Amino acid sequence: MAEVIEVLNISEGEPGFSDEIMKLGAEELLDCIQCAKCAAACPMVLAGFEFFNKRIIQSILIGQKEILLDDSSIWACQACNRCTEVCPRKVEPFGVVMAMRRSAIREFALPTLAVEGLKSLYDVGHAVYFSNAGEIRKKIGLPEKPPTTASNEQALKELRILMNKSALSSLGIIPMDSGLSDVTCCEV
Amino acid sequence: MKVGFFIGCNTAFNRPDLEKAFRFVFDALGIEIDDLEGQSCCPSWGTMPSVDEAGWCALGARNFIISEEKNVDMVTVCGSCYGSLSESKYKMEKKPELREKVNEMLKAIGKEYKGTTRIRLATNFLYNEVGIEKIKNSLKYTLEGVTIGVQPGCHSLWPSEVYQEGEKDPFHPVMLRELCEALGASAPYYSRIVDCCGMGGMRSTNVEASYKLVKTKLDSMKDEIKADLLVTGCSSCLIQFDTAQAPMKRENKINYEIPSVHYVQLLALCLGADPQQVVGLSTTDLSGILGKLKKIN
Repeated sequence: MAEVIEVLNISEGEPGFSDEIMKLGAEELLDCIQCAKCAAACPMVLAGFEFFNKRIIQSILIGQKEILLDDSSIWACQACNRCTEVCPRKVEPFGVVMAMRRSAIREFALPTLAVEGLKSLYDVGHAVYFSNAGEIRKKIGLPEKPPTTASNEQALKELRILMNKSALSSLGIIPMDSGLSDVTCCEV
Repeated sequence: MKVGFFIGCNTAFNRPDLEKAFRFVFDALGIEIDDLEGQSCCPSWGTMPSVDEAGWCALGARNFIISEEKNVDMVTVCGSCYGSLSESKYKMEKKPELREKVNEMLKAIGKEYKGTTRIRLATNFLYNEVGIEKIKNSLKYTLEGVTIGVQPGCHSLWPSEVYQEGEKDPFHPVMLRELCEALGASAPYYSRIVDCCGMGGMRSTNVEASYKLVKTKLDSMKDEIKADLLVTGCSSCLIQFDTAQAPMKRENKINYEIPSVHYVQLLALCLGADPQQVVGLSTTDLSGILGKLKKIN
């Protein structure tokens, strides 16, 4: 773990950062009073991560975007939502962490595993996929492939069309089939 | 009764013995399974939810639509799938403009999200829909004398506003304990009962930090209730506890092992399933527990 951060010059913070995070899904961001109830409930605190819900929100509020982009903590959030449960101001701290991830992705600051998960989702419709699972499935009396997009081309095409219509398509993080961008229902 | 089986990536490709256990249990309890042909990833937290709210909800909605067309609720053994799908549904209910945007995207594949079905966690479904009495009356084997440490999993508990059939007090869960007791075992409270397993994003980001949570939880379970067995309500928790203990033993982080199964696997065993098929991919040693299964005359 790094040393505690030195004194910050908050006038050097990135202007408009809070607005960006609010637009990316954290509508209640400004209601945070830094009471730290979310931190008291957070598994990331227990595990020793430097930036967790309360400190992520604090950094956003003072415009410290670079600090958050340089640290991988936001990707360690478990999405457990203890923070949302206990927040007395209905800020949904988990929603802020997700909005911060969305901001980081737009700066290409995402871990390799996240890229691989997205690519696998686009390629087979599953973020977690082991191509050698077929043998094991057969051995215990299951069909080689489950009844999902992994064995259904039409369903996979539908999923890809939706991903092509999402914000992901303009970000250039994974290779996507540009031919699917303008498909309408009749061509599926 | 009929349900749609929402399988999820980890169950289908990592622990298909859990998929087999689900199919065995629901069949044995007389519940028909629809395969929800064409279902995909929920999508998981590290993918579309981290990119874009509408994209997340659109992929979730496509899965819901498959169950809407069959007019069945979806049931899953995976807490992450349960969480992602529950939250996308909740968001589309709370924000009409988001739902409109999603339905606009869905037009491209000729579909519309109506919101007429639910996603349900298998343990909640067994507790609320099948019921403790019917489970007890269906057993072929019991587990008397076995002490279980339960791991309900974060996504079955919070945010309670989103999970309509959750616990009365999500910080003091009782449903999984009662389900285990129905099998003849004891499942006492221990102080770290609601702690997180450290799987998912945390394990991918920093495995050592993730193991800290595993150790805290296992120590609490061992010291306070002397657990013989760890039982999860979530496939992600299962994978974490089943695979983390061997490396942790090698690195002297723990000097014991608590065998770990998903509740649906344990119920399958008590309903007479072949262990090779329903727990055959376990890394932790289950032979002691299998030896304690007692046939009901």
